[in-house]
Amino acid sequence: MSEQIMKENPQQKFEPKIVGFLCNWCSYAGADKAGLAQTPYPPNVRVVKLMCSGRVDPQFVLQAYKKGADGVLILACHFGDCHYKEGNFRATQRHRMLLRLLKQQGIEEERCRLDYVSAGEGEKFVQVVTEMTDTIRRLGPIRRK
Amino acid sequence: MKIGVYFCTCGTNISEKIDPEKIRDEVQDITNVAYFKTCEYLCSEEGKNFLEQDLKEEKPDRVVVTACSPRDYEKTFRECVSKAEINPYLMQMVNLREQVAWVTAEPEEAAKKATVYIRGAAARVSRQAPLEEKEIDINPDVLVVGAGPAGLKAALAIAGAGRKVVLVEKTPMLGGMPVRYEELFPNLECGPCMLEPVLAEVLQEKEIEILTLSDVSEVAGYCGNFLIKIRQSPRYIDIAKCIGCSECIGPCPESIANPFNCGLDEKKAIGFAQTGGLPNAPFIDFNACRRSQGVDCQLCKAACPVPEAVVFDDREKVLERKVGAIILAVGSSLYDCTKFPALAYGKSPTVYNSLEFERLLAATGPTGGKVLGRDGKPPESLAIVHCVGSLDSKHKAYCSGVCCQYAFKFNQLVKHKLPEAKVTHLHKELVTPGKEEFALFERATGNPNATFIRYGDLADIEVAETGDRSEIRYQDAGGNSRTIDADMVVLCPAVVPAGGSNALAAALEVPQDRFGFFEELHGRADAAQSKIKGIYLAGTCQGPKDIQASMNQGMAAAGHVLSQLPEGRKLKIEPVTAFVNEEACSGCKVCGAVCPYKAIGFDVEREVSVVNPLLCHGCGTCVAACPSGAMDGYHFTGDQILAETEGVLQ
Repeated sequence: MSEQIMKENPQQKFEPKIVGFLCNWCSYAGADKAGLAQTPYPPNVRVVKLMCSGRVDPQFVLQAYKKGADGVLILACHFGDCHYKEGNFRATQRHRMLLRLLKQQGIEEERCRLDYVSAGEGEKFVQVVTEMTDTIRRLGPIRRK
Repeated sequence: MKIGVYFCTCGTNISEKIDPEKIRDEVQDITNVAYFKTCEYLCSEEGKNFLEQDLKEEKPDRVVVTACSPRDYEKTFRECVSKAEINPYLMQMVNLREQVAWVTAEPEEAAKKATVYIRGAAARVSRQAPLEEKEIDINPDVLVVGAGPAGLKAALAIAGAGRKVVLVEKTPMLGGMPVRYEELFPNLECGPCMLEPVLAEVLQEKEIEILTLSDVSEVAGYCGNFLIKIRQSPRYIDIAKCIGCSECIGPCPESIANPFNCGLDEKKAIGFAQTGGLPNAPFIDFNACRRSQGVDCQLCKAACPVPEAVVFDDREKVLERKVGAIILAVGSSLYDCTKFPALAYGKSPTVYNSLEFERLLAATGPTGGKVLGRDGKPPESLAIVHCVGSLDSKHKAYCSGVCCQYAFKFNQLVKHKLPEAKVTHLHKELVTPGKEEFALFERATGNPNATFIRYGDLADIEVAETGDRSEIRYQDAGGNSRTIDADMVVLCPAVVPAGGSNALAAALEVPQDRFGFFEELHGRADAAQSKIKGIYLAGTCQGPKDIQASMNQGMAAAGHVLSQLPEGRKLKIEPVTAFVNEEACSGCKVCGAVCPYKAIGFDVEREVSVVNPLLCHGCGTCVAACPSGAMDGYHFTGDQILAETEGVLQ
């Protein structure tokens, strides 16, 4: 769909849609922290809150691309900080598997980023969201088969 | 389905960036959204009343509240929704303040993003289901493992509230380590004297069942209802009948190295762990007793003035107890000094670890409190080596916190007992935290026979014997090689988890930290709770600490038990847990393997996984791991999350 818009309106700037799966305890709180600091960042990431990054089913990521996402961001607690002890390790393992899967489907690895944001790291949240938005903007809309 | 959307403007915090009137136009098209209302401060008393009254009038099937972060006010709005007789899990919040209004530069973009989020929330909430908080009965009794300062304090506090306590102690004696120390830092008060009143109270407390020579062997169940198996070794003495007169000990013909004095002297096969040890009854070390070799020796029994106090046919018992909560207070141990071969521990007779030295100082110890070397002579010079294994990333990457203090105590006790003896402190760092501790440091440094030397690296310290003396070679912090005489060397090893911690952790399925200590729920906010519900931590089994901190943590653990599991109150079960769609479950047990809380069991007959909602914390890791799609999570179902994802992408 995005490609169509590009073709019809080549002048219109491509605004990527990015889904952000955030864990409740660290990264969602980190996003709130950025809010409390009132630091502006690109509006492209749409946050879906989960209790733990370990809940991120690879299906969610694949479905997100299918339903129009140009990128997916998975944000977890730092290692050792997971509220549920080891959910972030699971998320990391599954992310590695996802990258292989995406490669097979011809989706660039950069479209699925996993990072770690603590409850105090509002600045890091802003940085990750900004970088991700820039990356996807550079890559352009996802090519769906 | 009728969805009501309530838009909080948060004064102008949200409405300044996101014009509610624009949103009103946008949300009209969203499936099932029946109405859109605004409020200035939804979290104020007026706002909450408005929400409650309006919900009662409108009677929507689902509610969307767009306001601040759900981390701040989800609970509040859930309560309002409940009061309006709508299930609180049929409400979804949208975080328009922290995650849109305050962070989006352009109002147009902010409005667009707000609409997108409301779309996602509406899609999600329409798939949300009512959930009920269930309640179960709890067993009010409490198991305390370990009868040192932390465990004793916890047991007394709980018993004081009228609750029954099962106090399990591995050794034959109560009191833990401090009853084995003659004097305690920082005030050089008598250790047994400090603890004896506490012990007397524990022994007289009817609500406390004391099980010495006992170990927890198996644990089943969960918070509120644990079934504990306790293995009790035979004492061969009936504590109820024994009068503690010691008549049995003299005639005993067998002696062994005394483990309670670190092998520095001998004890009889029948005897006390320590003179004055409580409960006041001896025990028989069966392996040392002649009866273990088939000899029908009855000398102790013959000497005993009380009939049937000595019980030769005592056997190991496995006792079962039901409790609602468990407090672990099993204490700690000292790092193995043989890991530093150059320090000659276990090889040179002049080298002692700090516990051995404590026993030399104790009136109940092998020398009756005299500081004498293994050669029977008082030392003319002593070296105390601090930080043996502590503050060392190759060994124990933490400060053990108590060693400097007891080293200063040693300094003072040596000064009293051997006024001429020279004391050299070889230290890496010196710590004196707290309001009382610095005074002891000042007294130690004020000892005219004491020298304090900062060494560079423990690896450069070498204990060498020259005839009947030993000397220590080391490099000072400036890198200069030096040698000092030391007739006696006292090593202050790192505080490490007690032997048996791993087995206990495995039986209880309690996580351990990277050092092997029982891991606290949170290092600062919740250090007296383990990561398993209903299991609490007290004393040095959670990390090195002094007696004051241990006893405080014992009280804290007791406080957790009394407030979280009060007698008569039922235990609420959080409804946001995983659940199994049994028809789809293939019985592969992957869910159980990834669960960090051991909350998933397996029904062998039906060959399906079973979630224990009491143990489940609702993280959803098992849900993502299930290869058959059989596992799902209440309030975070795959269907709900996908609907929200699709919603925010429209």
